[in-house]
Amino acid sequence: MTFVVTDNCIKCKYMDCVEVCPVDCFYEGENMLVIHPDECIDCGVCEPECPAEAIFPDTQAGLESWLKLNADYALVWPTITNKREPPADAKEFDGVPGKFEQYLSSNPGQGD
Amino acid sequence: MKIDHISEDGIRRLVDEFYARVRADTELAPIFNRAIPGDWGLHLATMRDFWSSVVLTSGRYKGNPVAVHLRIEGMVPRLFDRWLELFGETCGELFDDSLAEAFRAKALRIAESLKLALFYRPDRPRPRSVP
Repeated sequence: MTFVVTDNCIKCKYMDCVEVCPVDCFYEGENMLVIHPDECIDCGVCEPECPAEAIFPDTQAGLESWLKLNADYALVWPTITNKREPPADAKEFDGVPGKFEQYLSSNPGQGD
Repeated sequence: MKIDHISEDGIRRLVDEFYARVRADTELAPIFNRAIPGDWGLHLATMRDFWSSVVLTSGRYKGNPVAVHLRIEGMVPRLFDRWLELFGETCGELFDDSLAEAFRAKALRIAESLKLALFYRPDRPRPRSVP
């Protein structure tokens, strides 16, 4: 079991989660974070920390495609354990629907 | 009087009391003593940091528990059950019902996650003691 990062992280990327994660299982893309499902210990600390409410347990229905996205990108994006400044326009994108189709970048982020 | 809120002091008492029981337990003591052959002080400090991170979001623990458990010889799923029993008992004696249950629920999820990683992922190396 794991937690997964979903649509509303895209272009918000507040990064509060990476500070509290005890097992450093967040990986950074250009405009989104993902959780490595094999490293997450399901402690749930990150879920309430996310200002964008983008993190959910994988036991929740309908998250299969997000779980796959998290697993796939965790293998190719760099690890991130230190929070930086979120994007300047993060708030404007918070809650915008369908960000995956419009905005998700497959490019890696800068990482730690 | 039982503890009714989460604090660093409560975590310290939980960790001290729980691992005292582990070290006296016929099932768990052998494997723990092999994994921690010397001073337990460091392990207890690590466990305080871990629980502080998990229940107080202090961010003090940073580590990879999956990798640490993968290195331990003789791991079998039953040991997690015994661990959870002892942990649950300790929580029940120190904490009031709702706090004890919150700790038990957290421990159960983490244990399930570690078991999954150790025993049920065919793409991962299996513990050496399992044929």
